[in-house]
Amino acid sequence: MYEASSPVVLEIPPAFAAGRRLAVVSSIDTPQMPTPDVLAGLMMQVARDRDRQAFALLFRHFGPRLKTFFLRWTISSGVAEDLVQETMLTVWRKASYFDPARAGVATWIFTVARNIRIDHLRRQRDPSTLPPDPEEAPETVEDGLLGAERDAQVRHALTALSTEQQTIIRLSYFSEKSQTEIADELGIPLGTVKSRTRLAMNRLRALLEDQP
Amino acid sequence: MSQTHHATDETLMRYAAGTLAAAPAIVVKAHLASCPACRARVATYEALGGALLEDIEPTPLSATALNDVLALLDDEDDAAVAVPPPLAPVEIEGIRLPEALRGCDIGRWRWIGPGMKMSRVGVPQDPDANLILLKVGPGRALPDHGHVGTEFTYIVSGSFTDRFGTFRPGDLAEMDDDVEHQPVVDTDGECICLAAMEGRMRFKSVIGRMLQPIFGI
Ligand SMILES: [Zn+2]
Repeated sequence: MYEASSPVVLEIPPAFAAGRRLAVVSSIDTPQMPTPDVLAGLMMQVARDRDRQAFALLFRHFGPRLKTFFLRWTISSGVAEDLVQETMLTVWRKASYFDPARAGVATWIFTVARNIRIDHLRRQRDPSTLPPDPEEAPETVEDGLLGAERDAQVRHALTALSTEQQTIIRLSYFSEKSQTEIADELGIPLGTVKSRTRLAMNRLRALLEDQP
Repeated sequence: MSQTHHATDETLMRYAAGTLAAAPAIVVKAHLASCPACRARVATYEALGGALLEDIEPTPLSATALNDVLALLDDEDDAAVAVPPPLAPVEIEGIRLPEALRGCDIGRWRWIGPGMKMSRVGVPQDPDANLILLKVGPGRALPDHGHVGTEFTYIVSGSFTDRFGTFRPGDLAEMDDDVEHQPVVDTDGECICLAAMEGRMRFKSVIGRMLQPIFGI
């Protein structure tokens, strides 16, 4: 849990606190929630200085969220904690691969957790399989958007969706359910799931393209 | 090079969410390597995953969780950083294949009909994956089929045409289960493509029926 009393705001180096536009996030973030810029600053401290205090702050913020993420995949609580640990150790180990121009911290950690969940499934199926592939070389970013800005924009766009659209997007990201199973779970026709998904995605794309 | 035929938004979202099966994910990854537009869309869908992770309800961790991880950082720092050896190109009998196939078990070409060869690709992540390489001669039709799930085809070299247009190297053909289509390789050369099926294929032609045992239908 990220507590209101957390010293995170005091921990950011001035270089990251100053000069970055925070307007997009401030309207949707509760005061105690670190902004994408603050998170990027912490991540850079981990990458450059191997700063354990910065790592601990990232852990306190993302650890409990990652636990919920793994629990959503019907993984037991004990295993979920192990996978949180594995995710955060990977974040430490591969910190130098974090590229703030390419992705925000939440996005980058999401992709690390996603890959660890896939590997976990693979290990369950065949315990003898090897550890994951070596890290790929970063791809080039075509748009000049900074990762932290994109994270803020996407979060903002997400809040602009209807509750129904958000529910479907969440189920698509946090469960292996097909659209048919999602329809059964929500008690709505498959066609409605398909059209809501399409509408949600069109809406998100429009909102994101609207951004300056 | 800019591509003409792309992955659908739903597929790119599933790829970003990590819910696309291993074989289609490899075919999509091959396309992403040659398509900046789809890469940008995947980046957006990954950011959507990041936003959902931020918004998720936190679950308290055990009291020792943070200290346990901090204690493990010492071992991490002591571990020597191994420099990975330079990677050999991914290929089949001298033909360069997409990087996305690295780590897969690529067999030899096998004759499956006149002007048509196939190699079954083993996917370490998923022993049940339906992933194949097809090499089809100029002017020849690809096996006539409908399919149960979505079919993903990446064009490695050459080109083929069906009622949706001409598919060239780097393009991705994504065909839904209700689509029947009859791709024919263009006459200027043979076509090599990488194909993944989500569900089982239903073959109708003679050659198609020869393929069925290979897919275990
Ligand atoms: Zn594309």
